[in-house]
Amino acid sequence: MSTEDARSGAKRGKTTSHKRRRFLLGALGVTGALIVGWGVLPPRSRIGHASMFPGVDGEIALNGWIKIAPDGAVVIAVPRVEMGQGIHTAFAMLVAEELDVPLANVRVQAVTSERIYGNIAGIADSSLPIHPDDWQKPWARAVHWLLSKTGRELGLIVTGGSSSVADAWLPLREAAASARAALIEAAARQWRAQAASVSIHEGMVIGPAQERVPIGAVAANAAAIGAPSEVRLKPASSYRLIGRPAPRIDAQAKADGSATFALDVRPAGLCYAAVALCPVLGGSVGTINDAPARAMPGVLGVVPFDGECGGCAGVAVIAEHYWQAREALERLQVTWIDGPYSTLSSADIDHKLSAELRGERDGFTYRKQGDGLAALPSPGTGIVLDVEYRVPYLAHAPMEPVNCTAQVRGGRVHLWAPTQTATLARMAAARAAGVDGDQVDIDVPLLGGGFGRRLESDFVAQAVRIAKHTGERPVQVIWSREDDIRHDFYRPAAAARLRARVTGRDVDAIASRSVGQSILDQELRRILGTPGVGIDRYTTEGLFDMPYAIPHQHIAHVNVDLPVPVGFWRSVGHSYNAFFLECFLDEVAVAAGRDPIDLRRSLLYRHPRNLCVLDTVTRAAGLGAPGRIPPTDGKRALGVALHASFGSIAALITDVSLNNGRLKLNRIVCAVDCGTVVNPQIVRQQVDSGIAFGLSAALYGKITFEHGRVRKANFNDYPLLRMSDMPPVETHIVESADPPTGIGEVAVPPVAPSVANALFRITGKPCRSLPLEL
Amino acid sequence: MLRLDVNGTAHTIDCEASTPLLWVLRDHLNLTGTKFGCGAGQCGACTVHLDGAAVRSCVLPAIAATGRQVQTIEGLASGNPHPLQDAWIELQVSQCGYCQSGMLMAAAALLAINPTPNDADIDAAITNLCRCGTYGRVREAIRRVGACSAKCAKELPV
Repeated sequence: MSTEDARSGAKRGKTTSHKRRRFLLGALGVTGALIVGWGVLPPRSRIGHASMFPGVDGEIALNGWIKIAPDGAVVIAVPRVEMGQGIHTAFAMLVAEELDVPLANVRVQAVTSERIYGNIAGIADSSLPIHPDDWQKPWARAVHWLLSKTGRELGLIVTGGSSSVADAWLPLREAAASARAALIEAAARQWRAQAASVSIHEGMVIGPAQERVPIGAVAANAAAIGAPSEVRLKPASSYRLIGRPAPRIDAQAKADGSATFALDVRPAGLCYAAVALCPVLGGSVGTINDAPARAMPGVLGVVPFDGECGGCAGVAVIAEHYWQAREALERLQVTWIDGPYSTLSSADIDHKLSAELRGERDGFTYRKQGDGLAALPSPGTGIVLDVEYRVPYLAHAPMEPVNCTAQVRGGRVHLWAPTQTATLARMAAARAAGVDGDQVDIDVPLLGGGFGRRLESDFVAQAVRIAKHTGERPVQVIWSREDDIRHDFYRPAAAARLRARVTGRDVDAIASRSVGQSILDQELRRILGTPGVGIDRYTTEGLFDMPYAIPHQHIAHVNVDLPVPVGFWRSVGHSYNAFFLECFLDEVAVAAGRDPIDLRRSLLYRHPRNLCVLDTVTRAAGLGAPGRIPPTDGKRALGVALHASFGSIAALITDVSLNNGRLKLNRIVCAVDCGTVVNPQIVRQQVDSGIAFGLSAALYGKITFEHGRVRKANFNDYPLLRMSDMPPVETHIVESADPPTGIGEVAVPPVAPSVANALFRITGKPCRSLPLEL
Repeated sequence: MLRLDVNGTAHTIDCEASTPLLWVLRDHLNLTGTKFGCGAGQCGACTVHLDGAAVRSCVLPAIAATGRQVQTIEGLASGNPHPLQDAWIELQVSQCGYCQSGMLMAAAALLAINPTPNDADIDAAITNLCRCGTYGRVREAIRRVGACSAKCAKELPV
């Protein structure tokens, strides 16, 4: 086969794989991935081949994840984006550990294609409504296996669901161990020694006679030898990096301003665009008078666009410099067509949620245990608590506003995109440009926060549409902060009615009926154009899977159809279900005459891991274990909350003062069990981060609508927590030998209920809606 | 044409005088360490020094900086890193890092006028927003550099 033939053959193969991926995505959406012919699909190794991670400038690839550079550095493929969670450092640590090279010798390279980089844990571990008590049952294992296999076939490259380390834990270490074995074998052959007598230490290969060569010296031979058929991973007892604090590999660049975020890319010939986005939900562009704008200095063009991937319609002004585009945008005269939702207000939404909450429409029952609902109408000898909770829409508001840089040239697209999902960004860009997915190259710079906003691809499609009108120049589309807040995919507003039967000091029945929009339904419509089947685990996660041993349970959710765009917001359904459940438990505790910690402990006998986290936090807060919440002096109190999410468990004890209507957070103590910890320093950072994020939502966050428009605009009316209000945080990590589980989102859910429960204790008045009203 | 002195270098820039300093730095001078966060002076991601004082460059017309010394994160280290930058790395302050240039510039301006700030001073001066919750470590880094300078001052003969 000639070179040309080989290239077109490779291209054919790739096109087929893209087609298969699209087919699988369709199958997943329509059938839940249950009727794909698995027998014909071969098993896939996630270590991959050297051809998947091509070397440049003399780099030698040993498999799909590892290359050795001429300077001896180890270059690793990193398909997960760095948005603050420290994933580049964690991946580098896993490889440095297994390959026995210094951490400082590991460099990361973002990768955005190849199925081996797909995130299987993100898809398989926390997307099904399976109760933790059922996980080991054969049917649950079969479903998980099937979903994992779907994940492998899809190869969906996505950073989300607090899944990056959990997903990489095996394949990345196996890739490093495989590279290590090949390097050792190459050196052994050179020295005519047994491989067992050769080792690698701090990046040097060491022979039986104390010969020493850097790994780079045997990399070429190692590549020729190829991967061994099986590898053995280091036992935990030999770890020298995993489990110990190590400096982040991005710390220097983030302290001297040289770190390159998406807004900082400067490809040759770059121009800029500012956008006017339709202010009304579901509206469209009417008439445009662009003459005054076009007359402004530096303006290169005016481009109207439709909304894609769930985004809204609008008009872009392209100019040589960004501020020229912004100034010209002020002169642009656009009339908008209102569409069907131009009268929608927050009052309408509240009314609809209330009607559904008290209505008769059946939703989906995610959990039924014991007598379920039948236990509730009759209080018997006890009492029935019947309480409603409510949370608002929330914006993501990452510090780096939505932006994307795109170039459309010669039938190809180049993206510099702050995306959490390269796979879907590629699909969106290809569709917008009218090219095949193979024709889209993606660079993913650092992200100035993501929190789920950048799982959407509306801004990618928009940038590509605009880039078709720049005469093949790259264009950087920058949203204003107002655009960012008004055109988000919000955390859904939700309401829940919780009921419980309390007999004496015990609670023996609990029911929840919650209402709100389904994120999954909207996502499937956006990605595949078809709705889901109405079951959406995200709506009730944290409720249906509660660890509390209450004999009679009934957990249902009713999907409500509303035109507000909703999406994944850090910790998703857990963000409000933890508030509902953990606040309700404190109300139950009062009704039962129990201490809140004592009540929780009594219900955790089936879940020792959760109990251990609770006991750890009470001990750390100085309450002992088993602990009790001390009495309040009417001005200051502690609040507790415990919540499991993304495979991990977090508990908070929050120390709150209330003086003349002013709330002060004195201290937050956190205990967390997230399995094996790769870098405890980064785990602590993520807890700090989750707490700051959760506090902004608990104290201030609320997106409101009027006349079909978002009323909030910038940080003056959508405030975030500032330094003066951030309490000291103490984090205690529960030691664990289990595989790593999530940490990025895990601290968010218990924040609001821990503050609310402290306030409840101080005032005697339960908090039942967010943001907290003082 | 606008004449600006940025990090000790004189520049002549072809832009409207009303262009916010932020965009002149980022788009004309390619000094991308200074970040755009809100465009309204709310978040502080765009903080730079103007004659040593912290200003929010997203709401400062570039012309207001003519004839004055502008310093950005790229110029914070003069030869050696600023002590705050060392503390930032030592304490592993940054997470996503987007707001950190602004944080560092605000902190450096505070220490320049108040070498040993207490918590209230820090709260009053550092009103920058961080979505990752680095606040605790930002405070610690400022205090550490402040404490160090207090110690050095004590050791030096007056």
